[in-house]
Amino acid sequence: MQKRQSKRFPLGRLLLYLALIVSSILMIVPFYWSVGTSFKLERFVFTNPPQWWPNPLTLQSYINILTRIHFLNFFLNSVFVSTAVTLGHVFFDTLAAYAFAKLVFPGRDKIFFIMLLALMVPFQVNLIPMYRIMVILHWTDSFLALIVPSLTSVFGIFLMRQFMMSIPSELLDAARIDGCNEFGVFWRVMFPLCLPGIATLVIFTFMGVWNDFLWPRIVINSEKLFTLPLGLAQLQMKNTSNQSQIMAGTVLTALPMILVFLFMQRRFIEGMTAGAMKG
Amino acid sequence: MAVSTIPKTRFRFIKKYGMAYLFIAVPILSMIVFLFIPMVISFIWSLNDFSGLTAAKFVGLQNYIRLFTADPIFIKSLVNTTLFVLMGMGIGPTLGMLTALMLNQNVKFRAIFRTAYYLPVMTSMVVVSTIWIMLYNQNGLINSVLNVFGLGNVGWLSDPRISLVSVAIAAIWQGFGFETVVFLAAMQSIPHELYEAATMDGAGNFQKFWYITLPLLKPVILFVYIIGIIGSYQVFDEVFVMTAGGPVYSTTSIVLYLYNKFMDLRLGYASAIAYILFAILVVFSFIQWRFFGERT
Repeated sequence: MQKRQSKRFPLGRLLLYLALIVSSILMIVPFYWSVGTSFKLERFVFTNPPQWWPNPLTLQSYINILTRIHFLNFFLNSVFVSTAVTLGHVFFDTLAAYAFAKLVFPGRDKIFFIMLLALMVPFQVNLIPMYRIMVILHWTDSFLALIVPSLTSVFGIFLMRQFMMSIPSELLDAARIDGCNEFGVFWRVMFPLCLPGIATLVIFTFMGVWNDFLWPRIVINSEKLFTLPLGLAQLQMKNTSNQSQIMAGTVLTALPMILVFLFMQRRFIEGMTAGAMKG
Repeated sequence: MAVSTIPKTRFRFIKKYGMAYLFIAVPILSMIVFLFIPMVISFIWSLNDFSGLTAAKFVGLQNYIRLFTADPIFIKSLVNTTLFVLMGMGIGPTLGMLTALMLNQNVKFRAIFRTAYYLPVMTSMVVVSTIWIMLYNQNGLINSVLNVFGLGNVGWLSDPRISLVSVAIAAIWQGFGFETVVFLAAMQSIPHELYEAATMDGAGNFQKFWYITLPLLKPVILFVYIIGIIGSYQVFDEVFVMTAGGPVYSTTSIVLYLYNKFMDLRLGYASAIAYILFAILVVFSFIQWRFFGERT
């Protein structure tokens, strides 16, 4: 607990910053090394001593994976699937959460209780029958398999319900008196009030879908439908000799999420901690 | 007369509650089709010898019995996964706590340090895997650095004695920033007055941590461990990409083994594995549910 005495001892303060800087560097080096490697010529990737700055610096790996492996296509697939799923969550989860939080109907609490129980079921339990259902529906090897089963989630409904509980019902009653029907109340009054909560939902959902691997790996076969993680995993498996290209793919897969994070850092952190704080 | 009142009350019921049921219709339908039905099918298959190509043959508990008595690779995958969970949970939250404590010391550039810890959390496990495969390469960065101290040439992913540790290190690097951020947020919500009062009573820094910070963080710590245990027991992406379960099954996890059996079209057997995983996770989910259920 040396660090806690820092205000009295400059030495403690020094050690604190030293620990912070060293640990941060350890966290960043793998990223730095990936980016560096992606700009290297293949024969300079595993040199001894290691080459800390790419020399010569080349864009060849990026050109290769964008022209020969169609990484841009994987990127667009990821954007499409993640956006579609996220829109589904934003609409269906908040709508259902509204019913559970603010409407009264027979069986409401029982249904909600069953949904909470459903949260306990790990996805792997359903994996194999789910695949069979996709086969029966002829949805395998199509985006339908990635999008439709993921359009809502109990977690999202739970999160939004928690958020809506804190919004006073009087606001809704005012709209009802003005003649809004129940959907109007939800769409015109509740939805705009929930935007901060929805931002959290969007972040959770988008990131989850963007990074998802197991389910896409099982239902998608055609390379033209690959999302980024599938494309990157295939690059890794088929291309073990070309480390520089693998790293170019790695950078392109990780970069969009990292950029979004850097620009919306506060929202992200609030979102990620919301679940933990509210329980 | 009675005949005409029934439709009327039904109409009134629909008018009154129809909207609400409509609002929850899609999630309910989705839950039935994509969760409850598959769950039941999976359980039935786990009691059958079933390949998906020929008719299922009922075998009772035989799949389960065989998994535990005649399948050393499954036992290995159970042990591997449990070791992976123990390593991750032994180190991850502790690192998260230490870094959160450091960041909570009114440091300058806190956002930058926090970003450094948090950045890997944003990246997919496949990305983390490709990065660490490169770092773990026989001639990779880690061995090059170790070489300086005369310790190089460790087969991080090729030596079955340490491959699981190597995968766990990558997973911890990826995940502990989440705990940093969660703990830091919880620490900052502790009222300052508590620490001030403790200072006046002559408490040292360690005592403040032990008697104020830690007890108030207890629910968050429990949450982090439960979530972490549940998530780590489902480890798949990193072992699939980094090692494919090898060498000699040293990194085969429960879900990877399930996946392999699924690919071998042993659907009944794979379903039994899924239900064993379910049984393990239900214990932890139940603790979480009991604990957090009563708070909300």
